[in-house]
Amino acid sequence: MNKRRLWSFSFTTATLVLIPAAIGINYIGKLFAGVLKLPLWLDSIGTALASMLSGPVVGAISGAINNIIYGLTMDPISFVYALTSIAIGITVGIIAYNGRINTLWKSIIAGVVVAIVAAIVSTPLNVIFWGGQTGNVWGDALYAYLIAHAVPVWIASFLDEIVVDFPDKIATMIIAFLIFKGLPRKLILLYQSGETIEKLD
Amino acid sequence: MAKTLSLYVERNTFIHRVDSINKILYVLVSVAIPLILPYKFVAVLLILISISFLLLAKVMRRVIPLIEFSVIILLSIVIIQGLFHAGNKTVAFHIARITFYKEGLSYAFTLSMRVINILLAFAILVLTTKPSELIEALVKKGLSPRFGYVLSSALQIIPQMMSAVGSIMDAQRSRGLETEGNLAVRIRAFFPLIGPVVMGSLIETRERAMALEVRAFNSREKKTFLNERQNLRSDNVIRLILFSILSLSIVLRVLL
Repeated sequence: MNKRRLWSFSFTTATLVLIPAAIGINYIGKLFAGVLKLPLWLDSIGTALASMLSGPVVGAISGAINNIIYGLTMDPISFVYALTSIAIGITVGIIAYNGRINTLWKSIIAGVVVAIVAAIVSTPLNVIFWGGQTGNVWGDALYAYLIAHAVPVWIASFLDEIVVDFPDKIATMIIAFLIFKGLPRKLILLYQSGETIEKLD
Repeated sequence: MAKTLSLYVERNTFIHRVDSINKILYVLVSVAIPLILPYKFVAVLLILISISFLLLAKVMRRVIPLIEFSVIILLSIVIIQGLFHAGNKTVAFHIARITFYKEGLSYAFTLSMRVINILLAFAILVLTTKPSELIEALVKKGLSPRFGYVLSSALQIIPQMMSAVGSIMDAQRSRGLETEGNLAVRIRAFFPLIGPVVMGSLIETRERAMALEVRAFNSREKKTFLNERQNLRSDNVIRLILFSILSLSIVLRVLL
């Protein structure tokens, strides 16, 4: 079974229909996190799953379109954070392609890596648009404390972001891993064995 | 008829009839100008222009839920920067024993104007444009129709999944799942709730892909459009105005 190439830009119908599903999953994750009053966002489970199934390119596109849809239907400012979503998609895709997300521990480590990448990409955006804040109460409280003690804005903002991203991305990767493990094998093969669907004739 | 996720407000105004591409250009221009001309009054002027367009389109009331969340963050920025901004020197005023500083407040004001300007410009786009029209316009401009499908499908899939969520919540609660209580209980409730929806939607992609394939989704024939839109003269005029304003601001930047 040939694995798909890592940076393949050829989209099968299956990968294209995966993108809306990923966006829906992101949305549902965020919704349940809100309903259950969990102190997390959990709004990138779908992006992570798309990356695990179809690689970094599809993951990145899912992330970008996810934020475009959010921007058009809820909060226009999320257009800007498309960059973070793209970075998350690429990171998870690369880690998954190298076969590193097959145990709970590895999914936690993947979560740590994703959190760091997400914070690195988000920090400049936070500084440009919000003066470094994230809108999360705990993160912003830390930010205010650091700024009051003359810590540079960039460091304060990075810490503000990572305090929120660490638990969030680790939880996201654990959930994505558990769901991925439960998926039927024929579905996983559909995405990982190349052009199966186009050979219907 | 499938429900679509959208903030579109149906009204019969001139703003609603403007070509969607022009509204996208308007957003780009009004985001770009404060970056080209970084003066406070420029941002304020742009905000006033956007507000007048929103009033003309009779959608001003719908703007509030859209910007609510950001405005709360902006308020916290005013407080935090007013108190702790690194360059704080000049005292602006005291509340009880807490001192607010001018530099921080001025910085927070600049940030707020920048964000509100972007929010309002986008509000014009999302409140007066049907998402389906926007996607169709983009496809006409050269976006791959396959990605056009992805966009409109994403808008439809969310309401579908939401209704699935409703029944799954009811089903799991009737089996005795607790969704309220302490944090541990709520975390445990997350999996039985999200699991079925997510699994279902991923498994569905397989069937959806096959259904699309048998309908010639990958056909390379030239696509035709359901709605033919006449290119109004006013659309060209608007485009011209937007481009001249943008060029003017670049010229001003160079001269000043």
